[in-house]
Amino acid sequence: MRGRLFGGGLAVAMGALVVAALPASGQSVSGREAVAAIEYEPLEFVPPRPERHEVLGVTTLLLEDRALPLVTVIARFRGGYGLFDREWYAAAMGLPAMLRYGGTSGLAPDSVELLLEHYAMQTSFESGGVSVGSTLNTLTEHLDESLALWWDMISAPGFDEAQIDVWRGRELERVLRRADDAGGAAYSAFNRLLYGDHSIGWEIDESDLEPERVTPERFRDVHARVICRENLTLGVSGDASWDAMRPRLERLVDALAPCEGSPPASPIPEIRRGGGVFLIERDLEQAVIVMAHPTAVRLADEPSFFAATIGNAILGGGGFSSRILQRVRSDEGYAYSASSLWTMPRRYDGLVGAVTRTSPENAVPAVRVILRTMEELREAAPAATELKTAVDRVVNGYVFNFQTSDQIVSRMMLYDSGELPEDWLERYAEGVQEVTTEDVRRVFADNLRPAEMTILVVGDPDRIGRDALAVIGPVTVLAPRQPD
Amino acid sequence: MSPSRPPMLAVGLLLAISSFAAHGSARAVSAQEPVGDRLPVREVVLDNGMTILVLPRGGAPTVSFVVRFGVGGVHEHLGTTGIAHLLEHLLFKGTTSIGTRDIDAERVLFARMDAVQDTLLRARASGRAERVPELEARIDALEDSARSYVVPNELDRILTEAGARGLNATTSSEATTYFVELPANRAELWFALEADRMTHPVFREFYSERDVVTEERRMRVDTDPAGLLYEQHLAAAFTMHPYGVPVVGYMSDLRALSRRDVEDYYRRFYGPNNAVVAVVGDIDPDQVEGWARRYFGGIPRGEVPPPVLAVEPPQRGERRVTVEWDAEPRLRIAWHVPAGVADEASAIAMLASVLTGGRTSRLYRRLVLDDQLVTGVYASTGPGTLFPQLFQIDAVPRSGQPTERIESAIYDEIERLVREGPDERELERVRSQVAAGNIRRMTSNLGLAFQIADSQALLGDWRETFRVSERIAAVTPDQVRGIAALYLVLSNRTVAVLSRPES
Repeated sequence: MRGRLFGGGLAVAMGALVVAALPASGQSVSGREAVAAIEYEPLEFVPPRPERHEVLGVTTLLLEDRALPLVTVIARFRGGYGLFDREWYAAAMGLPAMLRYGGTSGLAPDSVELLLEHYAMQTSFESGGVSVGSTLNTLTEHLDESLALWWDMISAPGFDEAQIDVWRGRELERVLRRADDAGGAAYSAFNRLLYGDHSIGWEIDESDLEPERVTPERFRDVHARVICRENLTLGVSGDASWDAMRPRLERLVDALAPCEGSPPASPIPEIRRGGGVFLIERDLEQAVIVMAHPTAVRLADEPSFFAATIGNAILGGGGFSSRILQRVRSDEGYAYSASSLWTMPRRYDGLVGAVTRTSPENAVPAVRVILRTMEELREAAPAATELKTAVDRVVNGYVFNFQTSDQIVSRMMLYDSGELPEDWLERYAEGVQEVTTEDVRRVFADNLRPAEMTILVVGDPDRIGRDALAVIGPVTVLAPRQPD
Repeated sequence: MSPSRPPMLAVGLLLAISSFAAHGSARAVSAQEPVGDRLPVREVVLDNGMTILVLPRGGAPTVSFVVRFGVGGVHEHLGTTGIAHLLEHLLFKGTTSIGTRDIDAERVLFARMDAVQDTLLRARASGRAERVPELEARIDALEDSARSYVVPNELDRILTEAGARGLNATTSSEATTYFVELPANRAELWFALEADRMTHPVFREFYSERDVVTEERRMRVDTDPAGLLYEQHLAAAFTMHPYGVPVVGYMSDLRALSRRDVEDYYRRFYGPNNAVVAVVGDIDPDQVEGWARRYFGGIPRGEVPPPVLAVEPPQRGERRVTVEWDAEPRLRIAWHVPAGVADEASAIAMLASVLTGGRTSRLYRRLVLDDQLVTGVYASTGPGTLFPQLFQIDAVPRSGQPTERIESAIYDEIERLVREGPDERELERVRSQVAAGNIRRMTSNLGLAFQIADSQALLGDWRETFRVSERIAAVTPDQVRGIAALYLVLSNRTVAVLSRPES
């Protein structure tokens, strides 16, 4: 039963109020009729909301949750690898690894490891295109020791040369092994094809890892530009109150140098248009297929975004309830996995397309099935039942957005970084409920163009059939490992 | 079942303890207290033998469901390998009422296509391969006809509309486990659907789903160098025991499996007396028990699965296997060790942590940091838990480093461990992790559901999974050294190397 969502501090009501109707003993208690006879009580639930504070000018979100003696602290800095020139790419990509493994200005890497293990701390460090982030999870009893060490790793890293060398060796090995994973190799090649010389299309290669590009000085320069006070947002969840955390967080922020300037804006990618079929010849038991073209739908509180999101769930993003998996897997048995993709960034164009893997002999038929499925959704609106399935999943599954306090805080931090409103989740749930079948048809008609797909196939051309592939479009053969 | 299947959870129950990320309930829990005995788990055993474990917890109004059948790869034989895994897929295809518009019409077509399949198998066996394409086309045509009566993926659609998350299943050597999460107010739906699936399954779209499984095999094994090396390694290490047979099945076996094979297998192994259910989340135990009795209580008992009698004979000399592939090299070394439920299991888990658990571990320090021979080295046990298994070391060589040199370094470190034993600090490091892991494992309802279901099925008591960590913490340096000295020896070793063909 689909119901409206009401955000803010109000309770979320889902489903109709009815008394559970259990069949009497001896009656059939299973099957379609039994399922249809079940009626659900409404779900009364007030979603927890993090408190919003400022710590010496740094936005800080906190959600207290005393269920377990654990505290999670998240630090997020504006300034990911996408904001640096190619010359600095490896150092920007490697910064999280070196914060984790490179020791601190006062502690050798081994000493850091021993302390991490002694206090049973869990840390993660990661870099995205526009941000660098780190998370600490610690037992409450070790909160002070853990916070001090973690912040030392972030704010005063040692960039130990031996650890840089180990990291560099691992990255070089990753470059060598990239081709061993057919799927990964296909996605890499596809990104290069579509995004060219933009950071989305980059991957670390041997030239990025020349020793002069990954020196301690390089890492320090990147660190100074990213890990500074004005770039920081903090999040705290778990067994800690604001009163308890405030002085601790003030000490952290106070230890962080101010930024020397704002990070540059991420350049807007120019995405390849015009379509075409590309082939990477590999003697494999399975062909990998990736296809997409650019689309102008952006992440925004607009009907086209909600229609595209629901449309993608119907096309192939909704698992077994969506058309591409139904056709390619359930009907034809061509593939274990097949799905659509529709990326909708906030600031620039995204991609709409599909991916699958199938035996070489079924590669061309699978491409045809996918393109035909796309065409159908351009021409006719989906069934009302398909729309209902996609929307009900969002509405009835809304509570899964609140399973852990960590999840809630990190999502709110993500909204902050993407300049989305604090109540974005409620707006999203309301927006998808406004979508009609005609909205879905229109968004596909306006934004999905199967004939303009760039289609990449990685596999054995003799088994795929060169002639059959050429019928889809003129084929360009790519080298197995294209240099950047 | 789903394209995003998670890694199998049954492998390495003991090792998982120290690294399980998880969330939880009772506020008073601390790292020093035993956790398991404090959890308010209600245990219900129905007259038909089905065990239901119910754990109410606070937090968001969601519920996690796990049903674990004690059947997996070890119950298969050459010729029918992969049947448990295929069945895992087919149980999402619906029942006599869900997924169909006309079950009787479907069954008529099932009989016809199964008869053609019999003919096809006879044609293959008698060398008349020229008939195979025509017979395959007839099966396809009949399945297309049957599809006109099918309501596609109705089970999935019902759950999706209810807001379900993570609908999936996994098959391991010893278990097939189905799982899903639902909003708390939809909990009864799971009982109705699961009871229907256990009572009235229909293996529709059998032949196309069998093709899907062959594609899964291609993805996980035939185009994945690490997957193929693993399969070959197990096959070399186990000459008798079914642990040596891949759970996904051999391609030729998959192509020969019939709907009848699957139906027989289902009847034998999927009775309620071979199932453990775990329900964890924002639920009322009384209500859950009521639903369990009402929906599952009438399902008749099944056969008791025959015990696995195969015993792997003692290995009498090193075995080596090489897999040639146009890919970067990999190395796997394995030794036979006691089962994951044996007394030695805790010391074996401790040994694995001492060798490769974290960056201060012995092999990581020597191979990754000091000698820079590999980019990663990992110890684990597997492929199952119930029977004598393998202690395995995987290594990913750095470019240009011969696998022989890596092997030597690993054997050097093992000899040093046997000679000197680990020191108390190494064990204390692991104990700290295990203690914290006891808290972190409480963070996820679904994770807890898996843990208590596995523990009940494998160890006979859901509490045992929490006691294991206490036993690991009690392991002494001498025990670790003793395990290494007894089992990590040349004659008990099987080595698998992935290398490029010389040409």
